[in-house]
Amino acid sequence: MSPLHHPDDSLLVDYATGALDAGARMVIGAHLGACPGCSTTVAEAEAVGGALMSTLPAATMSPDALALALARIERPAPAEPTPLDGPADWIAVPTEVVRAATRRRRWAAPGVWVAPISQRPGGARSYLLRVGAGMSVPRHTHRGAEMILVLKGCYVDGDIRHGPGDFAVNDDSVDHQPRAIGEVECVCLISADSALVPRDWVGRLFQPFVGI
Amino acid sequence: MSPSSKITGVDGASLSACIVNIAERGDREAFARLFSHFAPRVKSYLMRLGAVPEAAEELAQETLLTVWRRAAAFDPTRAAASTWIFTIARNLRIDLSRREARGVPADDPSQHDSGPAAPDDALSSVEDEDRISRALATLPKEQAQVVALAFFADKPHSEIARDLGLPLGTVKSRLRLAMSRLRGALAERRP
Ligand SMILES: [Zn+2]
Repeated sequence: MSPLHHPDDSLLVDYATGALDAGARMVIGAHLGACPGCSTTVAEAEAVGGALMSTLPAATMSPDALALALARIERPAPAEPTPLDGPADWIAVPTEVVRAATRRRRWAAPGVWVAPISQRPGGARSYLLRVGAGMSVPRHTHRGAEMILVLKGCYVDGDIRHGPGDFAVNDDSVDHQPRAIGEVECVCLISADSALVPRDWVGRLFQPFVGI
Repeated sequence: MSPSSKITGVDGASLSACIVNIAERGDREAFARLFSHFAPRVKSYLMRLGAVPEAAEELAQETLLTVWRRAAAFDPTRAAASTWIFTIARNLRIDLSRREARGVPADDPSQHDSGPAAPDDALSSVEDEDRISRALATLPKEQAQVVALAFFADKPHSEIARDLGLPLGTVKSRLRLAMSRLRGALAERRP
């Protein structure tokens, strides 16, 4: 089933031009793997990129550039790392996410685990969050923006339901307490500009353990 | 399939055929032709994005080396040669800037290139490239400016808006108009 909630077109164009930061690129890339419609939009924008590149005046290359290239293609290609597949019931994710899920997950509270994927000096971070069926994350808001993609299961935020492949952006205008619904756990891939801002004592208690 | 010696022009169809010939029989003549056409343009593209000439040339070399190694993954019914090579150059540029930023190798998240084909696999044929080029030439100036900045300035919408001194909504709507016009050009041939 195709996702119901999509990144807006400007994010898809930013993906095609290469302007997104690594975390946003990862989250939107995972959505594209699950969404033929958005993949088509990105492919169209990439075709524009290719056509634009073709219109550029040719830069001058070094005199031996072609000879060098012809020599390079004779060298054996280094073995490409084998991509790791994630769990069969998840939306497909890149190897670094699978690796984080297997090596870095830690239980943060009963039913909740977090697996950091990357953290940057400015505070930007990406991580996986797993919440057991029927459980909520503590009430919180955001400093800066957060992109979230469901890899497995479902959650409700207010009265909007998000299932596998669904994409959402949250910022400091939201104050929410998403809740996993359905029969199975909910696993999400998240990229955020900075840490969550807890809005209640449960959250303040919870946050130091998980660092999200 | 015609032998590579018959491929003489630099039109989109013959460039696509070069990649197919590389995949099918390691055609070095086809590679040389592709290199001569695309490497200088990839270098131009990277210099537009701020790379110094030496770094741009090295990345152009890597781009064409990747074309050689991954030629079998190219599907001429899904993408024009220019589109495919653009995405390779873009991904290498992103990988390089990530490695420079954090000093460790990174996985490429943009695996959708090899993912399931979009339902409309006729999207990016060679005629589409010509249609896009013609449509680009007819864009109103303010739309063309935003498109060029988006692709050649490595900037998300928000920064383009700041640079132009325009509201974000204006930049978004100009880009949206431009993209829908370009998409309209692609749709022309569809019944
Ligand atoms: Zn989508």
